[in-house]
Amino acid sequence: MSSNINRSSSEPISPPPCLHLTEFRSRNGSHPFRALQDCLRVKPGRASIRRDPHEVPRCSDCGESATSRLYACITCATVSCHAPSGGLYHAAAHATAMSAGHEIAVDVDRAELFCCACRDQIYDRDFDAAVVLAQTSASTLGGGPSTIPSPRPENLRKRRRVDYRPWSPDQHERFLMGSGSSPLDSDNSSSDLPRGLRGLNNLGNTCFMNSVLQALLHTPPLRNYFLSDKHNRYFCQKNGNAGNAEKRTANDRDGGNGNRNSRVCLACDLDAMFSAVFSGDRKPYSPAKFLYSWWQHAANLSGYEQQDAHEFFISMLDGICEKVERDRRKPHSQGSGDCCIAHRVFSGILRSDVMCLACGFTSTTYDPCVDISLDLEPNQGGSSKIATTTSKNSCAGESDCMKTGQTCGTSTLRGCLEQFTRAEKLGSDQKFFCQQCQVRQESLKQMSIRKLPLVSCFHIKRFEHSSTRKMSRKVDRYLQFPLSLDMSPYLSSSILRSRFGNRIFPFDDEPDATSELASEFELFAVVTHSGKLDAGHYVTYLRLSNQWYKCDDAWITQVDENIVRAAQGYMMFYVQKMLHYKATERQGAS
Amino acid sequence: MKPKTSVNRPPTPDVLENPPEREPTLQELLNIKLIESGEKERLMELLRERLVECGWKDDMKALCRAFVKKQGRNNVTVDELVHVITPKGRASIPDSVKAELLQRIRTFLMSAAV
Repeated sequence: MSSNINRSSSEPISPPPCLHLTEFRSRNGSHPFRALQDCLRVKPGRASIRRDPHEVPRCSDCGESATSRLYACITCATVSCHAPSGGLYHAAAHATAMSAGHEIAVDVDRAELFCCACRDQIYDRDFDAAVVLAQTSASTLGGGPSTIPSPRPENLRKRRRVDYRPWSPDQHERFLMGSGSSPLDSDNSSSDLPRGLRGLNNLGNTCFMNSVLQALLHTPPLRNYFLSDKHNRYFCQKNGNAGNAEKRTANDRDGGNGNRNSRVCLACDLDAMFSAVFSGDRKPYSPAKFLYSWWQHAANLSGYEQQDAHEFFISMLDGICEKVERDRRKPHSQGSGDCCIAHRVFSGILRSDVMCLACGFTSTTYDPCVDISLDLEPNQGGSSKIATTTSKNSCAGESDCMKTGQTCGTSTLRGCLEQFTRAEKLGSDQKFFCQQCQVRQESLKQMSIRKLPLVSCFHIKRFEHSSTRKMSRKVDRYLQFPLSLDMSPYLSSSILRSRFGNRIFPFDDEPDATSELASEFELFAVVTHSGKLDAGHYVTYLRLSNQWYKCDDAWITQVDENIVRAAQGYMMFYVQKMLHYKATERQGAS
Repeated sequence: MKPKTSVNRPPTPDVLENPPEREPTLQELLNIKLIESGEKERLMELLRERLVECGWKDDMKALCRAFVKKQGRNNVTVDELVHVITPKGRASIPDSVKAELLQRIRTFLMSAAV
């Protein structure tokens, strides 16, 4: 197992090639599958092999056409059935009856290769590349180079995964620790609440801030970062002041650049807050300094008005990043996940494929994200999407009814994620410019998650703004969310596999094992909203050592899990169950 | 001179000189009708969707994983897997899914008036 994990994974795992395939390839020169290319029929979602588009393939031996597995011999195009359970092995019989070279066949309904002698699926890089290319663009020549999504986001660089080694201080470090710190007094004096649970005073409609801060204060990777003194506010301020002296004069010259005072550092204020909250003191804490700094960062949101918690979350992560970026004077690479602690914890990468329905050309883009915003309208939003999956049939309405009948109970977070990653037809009003057709075309869009963040924040779009009716409303519908969530079905690898079948992807650069191990998440914080659109209250539920706590501004109470389950979730924070350690080039980044 | 043999023959339909004259069975007729109308494709899509929804697919995946683990992953072929899993898979399809599909096929037959 450990050898498996330590394998540097630059190549997708391919099974050992089958002898017959190697033989077949050596016999047939450089383009062994050329003949098949004309028979490849591609529909959105599925590739198949047909000599002419309306052919009903049937077994040449028994005439069977309804069995699920029909194979066409690559050498002579004889179609045979292969149903091991029924005792009919016509494909295998064909391979043995003919001279050597008839072992390799292709599954007519899946366009996947099979070796009739080994009786096993086989993989061929060239064949798979041809099928994928045909699926992504109808003409392999026209869309060639740009079809394969070229520049990978920076942080998808291969890094070796390493085993976890617990740190133990050496003598020098032990001395430093002894002389530079004082042990916290044991926590038994105040209460039985876990350490770090401390109410936050409402400073005037700031429950939006308190609720998000409570979640962040108990985000495991963020907490560990600050509590292990990775961002020391005294150090940061001293450095910042010295380094920014000349910068400030430059700022003054060009008008002071507003309130972007270089001394404002949200990370420093967060560091101060972590110290205060984990000090053991249980009196509610007033995050006034933090609020003030945030106002300076986001001037448009300052003031004692009610704000959106999600907006605050985004703006404040941005604030932490901005400051750290400026200090390091590195090219702005926000979202690459390596720039600052905020993005290293929350940043993931979304993949979006837009396929032109006229020519099949697909353009793929990768976007960094710090959270995933999900729609809470499975019934409304679903209708158009279902129409695409059942492909403009006469009974689309009928299947639609069945679908809504299925989902009309309660909406679930998984349902929302499914809807988020479902292929969606972009209507005639939002046509997409196709690079190959050079005109705007109707297209099919599909989102998937390329890289999972350490902490996934799901934001439920409960506040709806209808531009047509010029009004906003809040959706109060209940959403069921699981305590434990497997994200693997929403990953790009899974989405692509369901679109292309079992292939060795020429451009799928990450082996499944990596993502599969890291796709298990568990819930640790829920930010809920009660009330109306313009006036309401945010409350956060936190899970600490398997017990739920309600953080309502200054008040912290222990609550039952059922209360959390019944709450109206607005933002959900999930953390990866297992963290994986990777070798880094820079030791102890930032 | 010997004609040059084609190394890379394109697949040619195997034309039987005299196809055996045989009355197609009702099942075959239906199958062709289903395919030609595109209904079969829709039914397959519906079935796939339902089997995913009810967790059947996940169950099968788990069974396959268990089997591969037991055999050792270099020691298993797709054929064996199909052979072992198919009976379990057939047996565990929920009745509701079968009923729904049957209903769809009935509706199709009525409308097609075969």
